[in-house]
Amino acid sequence: MRWLHFFGLTLCSTVLALYESDVGVVDWHHPLVGVPLTSSLNTPPTFHSIPGRPPTEALLLTATSSNVLACTAHLSLSDSGTAWRFIFAPTDHIIHYQQHRDIVVSLSGPGGSTLRTFDCLTGQLILEKRLHAPHTDHLESDDVGLGAAIAFIPESDDVFALTNGRTVRRIGADGAVRWAWESADKSASVVYAKLVTTPSTVYVISLTKSSTSKTLYISSLSTSTGELVASTSVPLSVAAGPSDVLALSSDAATLIPRVVWLEAGTILSVALVPDLTEKHTSVMGSAYTRIVDIGLQNKGHFVALTMNDTGRVLKLDVDKLKVIWEFTDSGKSGRHADSLYIGGLDRDGFPYIGRVFWSFVVRKASAHVYAPHLAAGQGLVSGFTFNFDTEAHGIISHVALHTAYVKEVDLLPYLALTTSTGAVQLWQGDIVQWTREEGLSRLQVAEMVELPEQKITAAHTVDERDTFVERISRQLTDAKELHLYMLNFVKRFVAGPNASTQKEIAFDSLTRDAFGFRQVIVTANDLGKVYGLDSTSGAILWNRVLGLGWAAQIGGQVIPSKLFVVRTIADGGSPEAVLVAQRRASNGLVDTVLFHVNALTGEDVLGKSPADEVLQGVDLISGPLLEAYQLPGNHKAVILLDEFRQVYVYPETPANERALAKAIGKLNVVLRTGLPGQRQLTGHQFSNADVGRPTAFATWASSLPAGEEILSVIPRPSGPVASLGKVLGNRTTLYKYLNPHLVAVTTASPDTCGVYVIDAAKGSIVYHVSIAAKQGRCDLHATFVENWLAYVYWEEEYQWVGQTKGRRLVSVELYEGSKPDDKTRSSELSSHSNKTLAVTAIEQSYIFPHAITSITTTSTKYGISTKDIIVANENGQIQSFPRLFLNPRRTKDKPTAEEQEEWLVQYDPVLPDDAHRVLSHNYHVANIRHILTAPALLESTSLVFAYGLDLFGTRVAPSGTFDVLSETFNKAQLVFTICGLAAAIMATRPMVRRKRLRERWYQ
Amino acid sequence: MTRILAVAVLFANAYTICFAAEISGFVQWNEHCADAIQLGHAKVVLDNSVASGSISRNGNFIIPDVAAGTYVASVVSHDHVFDKLRIDVPPEHDSPPEVSPYTIGTPLNPRSPIKLPYPIKFVPRQRKSYFVPLQSFNVVQMFQNPMMLITIFGGLMMLAMPYVTKNLDPALLQEAQQSQAKFTSALQSGDLKSGITALAGGDDIRPAITTATSSPSNNTVKNRTKKRRT
Repeated sequence: MRWLHFFGLTLCSTVLALYESDVGVVDWHHPLVGVPLTSSLNTPPTFHSIPGRPPTEALLLTATSSNVLACTAHLSLSDSGTAWRFIFAPTDHIIHYQQHRDIVVSLSGPGGSTLRTFDCLTGQLILEKRLHAPHTDHLESDDVGLGAAIAFIPESDDVFALTNGRTVRRIGADGAVRWAWESADKSASVVYAKLVTTPSTVYVISLTKSSTSKTLYISSLSTSTGELVASTSVPLSVAAGPSDVLALSSDAATLIPRVVWLEAGTILSVALVPDLTEKHTSVMGSAYTRIVDIGLQNKGHFVALTMNDTGRVLKLDVDKLKVIWEFTDSGKSGRHADSLYIGGLDRDGFPYIGRVFWSFVVRKASAHVYAPHLAAGQGLVSGFTFNFDTEAHGIISHVALHTAYVKEVDLLPYLALTTSTGAVQLWQGDIVQWTREEGLSRLQVAEMVELPEQKITAAHTVDERDTFVERISRQLTDAKELHLYMLNFVKRFVAGPNASTQKEIAFDSLTRDAFGFRQVIVTANDLGKVYGLDSTSGAILWNRVLGLGWAAQIGGQVIPSKLFVVRTIADGGSPEAVLVAQRRASNGLVDTVLFHVNALTGEDVLGKSPADEVLQGVDLISGPLLEAYQLPGNHKAVILLDEFRQVYVYPETPANERALAKAIGKLNVVLRTGLPGQRQLTGHQFSNADVGRPTAFATWASSLPAGEEILSVIPRPSGPVASLGKVLGNRTTLYKYLNPHLVAVTTASPDTCGVYVIDAAKGSIVYHVSIAAKQGRCDLHATFVENWLAYVYWEEEYQWVGQTKGRRLVSVELYEGSKPDDKTRSSELSSHSNKTLAVTAIEQSYIFPHAITSITTTSTKYGISTKDIIVANENGQIQSFPRLFLNPRRTKDKPTAEEQEEWLVQYDPVLPDDAHRVLSHNYHVANIRHILTAPALLESTSLVFAYGLDLFGTRVAPSGTFDVLSETFNKAQLVFTICGLAAAIMATRPMVRRKRLRERWYQ
Repeated sequence: MTRILAVAVLFANAYTICFAAEISGFVQWNEHCADAIQLGHAKVVLDNSVASGSISRNGNFIIPDVAAGTYVASVVSHDHVFDKLRIDVPPEHDSPPEVSPYTIGTPLNPRSPIKLPYPIKFVPRQRKSYFVPLQSFNVVQMFQNPMMLITIFGGLMMLAMPYVTKNLDPALLQEAQQSQAKFTSALQSGDLKSGITALAGGDDIRPAITTATSSPSNNTVKNRTKKRRT
């Protein structure tokens, strides 16, 4: 029996082994960087030329909302590969980055507490330095980006960093602080926000935050010693924010830096000299409404808008500011949208100023690029329109500009657009070079939808009265396809099972492959876009922008809550999905909107929105959504609860309403109720009202201790359960506890974390564990399937001898009754029965190798295959852990013969960290938030789709591919053996014949 | 000027007072991981990421703001395996943190008597290999398979058997036939053990006699064949 045991272990460790040839065939990975942060001028996408390289090899640097500092490959490539990315910790927000020569410097954390420098080309981290503790005593949480700035002086790699709103340091390339200066004014209202450097002096400009104090403070420091040279204050007539004050400087030594601000329609400026004795002057001319920082402050350029919004370019000149250009027709007009102004540089450092706007007349985007130094210093403007697809990408929210191939009368601008749906596009003039759908890094919900089978050519209606000739001719026409059939047969024989899903399948034929590996992943992000992805390649099959309905006039955001597949191919017709979303309009009104799409094409099922327009939803509830569920059974209708606990059904068909009325008495749901900090779980049932809508009423409430916050409610997936029990070695049976109302709940309180399994029908706690935690840090992840609960947490306690701190995985199995062979039929038991609490929990804890961000189990069609655990770990890997090792009944001693029959392995506290079970192998799959598993047509195989910052898809066979010939099956050997045997038969046949003949003669 | 410097020094002191300890260390490049390019972006974390420091281009790392206490330090790296270490940060800042080895799955308490030097040194132990080699078809390998060898041997024996039996001493042949008959009868009666012993050469005494009698006859067979050939 021992061999069986070892066989089990070897089988377990090899079934999931990956072959290098499978890379990119069974799996795919889309590394993303996130949506660029365009709200602040310290973090948006910017172009950077590499010294000594062609201008087309410029890099596009950006900091993103996913907290990533990224650099995309150079512009001449038609592909948009990421050259490098650095992923910051979730609490360490990037607030500022700047490039200087061949390094990129970033400030992150509250007030810019951490400084990092990177190699611009490779992204290698050169230096990481904590400048102050990551809490700001006088910066408020809403302006974490304020009070931090970076500046450089030419010919030096030293960084001048202003952090925490009051400290300036000069930091050498080796990380040594050359000097530090701190503002003597400790009051919270003064926040230093800008740095201007000249080779000899650093000017620190502060802004007051309160509306009562209207003063601009300027201090000048020596660059070499950090000594305070002078300090002055300028009274303002209006309170100014960080965007209202600009600090202009220039490379030219003759131009003195100036601070610029707007006061009562006049642009005022003051020259920065070390002793700060200059008086402020004003720019003559028309009145201005706004000054716009176009990212060229250190080149001495900015844009000011006049009363009718006409954009004027102003430049730092000797002793004054000078208007050098006015963009014609840029004023307010019904013919075009508001203009975006942006500055850019070419390789030689010459500034360019661009204006990009959307024209309502021609329905195209236009760009005007002004080059001040061209045409012998007269300035040259180049304009063009480009076909920006506003239906697919929303509106342009940010533009970055770079110019290459500058001739005396012409220039070639590159524009990097960031759109409201999270796409990043590179345009070379009016030609789009590439588009990155960075909105995919913010997916909120996803579901897999099976594809229909390929349409078989219509079968002939066999007519009994066919004449012989007719029949022959029909069969001959059919035989035309024979060679194709033969070819396909040979192909199938030669190729492995993976061949069925290889890329040769054309995208336009949306049909499933032989084993159902190809499905459509319907998914939506919080930027108002819904996508259909191919599960075998991750390619975008279709995408739609979600309409805002009535809120389109004032603006708003559509945030997806749930996604349901309301029609599958089994129901006939095209599969359909319903996205339940909440629309937050800019005026604060929240509505619940449903979008009903064809899962194969993205078409609006309701037929309200044409394919080339935004997808309009159905405003079902005028108010926020409490919860949404799918009605069990064949109807697949969606039921929604509004804040008054009224029940809505979608689609609102009589059949669905009847189904709801029929099922309503049996539904039990758990809702989170109460104020934040005092949340409780409340069980609800539904009642049919005589008039109006059915409503939910509370049946029980949990009594969680005060301060215990609910982290997550994990419902048990309603997949098929193949076996109701586990037969033990002694021929007794442990019956699985399969109460259909169970939910797992994770909670956090200041000093403990909790895991509960609760019966949603009556609120009884079936299983509860409390874990000690430090300062409420509950890094708790749980998954719940059938009768198996697994959770991963950090064990803090190590004070007793023999203890150790570390990450644990606890595997809990719930069985009926108190001993084997106890049977309560828990899956069919009425929730009123006393027997529902007759349950035994068998649990075991294991030392888990890594921190994780998501955990789930595999799911297969009939639930026969083993359920492995799949986790996304902090190393950027998707890893699976076999069920065999997670069995809580693993024996403490050497397994007996009976135990070996159950495939029980001796307990080892450490779960092996097997690199062969890393499904994502060489791919760095970063910041995964959720892993979705779905069954394929093959019982052995489960599809896996992980999303978060990156997207990753693969398939796994937890029990081995028992229902399909293994990829490693040696067909050549089989053929060879058969040929050998045939040869042997041919060789021995005459011998046998001779022998028989001889036997007859000599017998 | 001196006043400013004094102020700066004062601030620096103030920072050390309000800051918790700073832990530094480095990664020792070796054959498993030669440089930062191979390592990729990696960081050193204490416990459950209560504090962390990124590993820079030259392999160094600094973990700032570490409160006094006992921690498990580990390296978060995509492709490389490192040992874990136990770090004890003393409450007094003048004494350096104590570093000792720690193996996952062993008690953290008590501390290992072995003390490692500070700054912390992490050594790459292994580069993860994610793939298993694909078994390609190899004729030589196929024939090295014992099953294959048995089959071939069986096939050859089948062909060679008539010649072998022809050249065999009749006495020996008879004996073999006898034992075979015994084995078949034992099999039929269900007595597997005696059948096998019969096949192996009967009881304990018999083989000795058989060998004694068979050896000269063997010679005679050989002689006879030689004669015949000549």
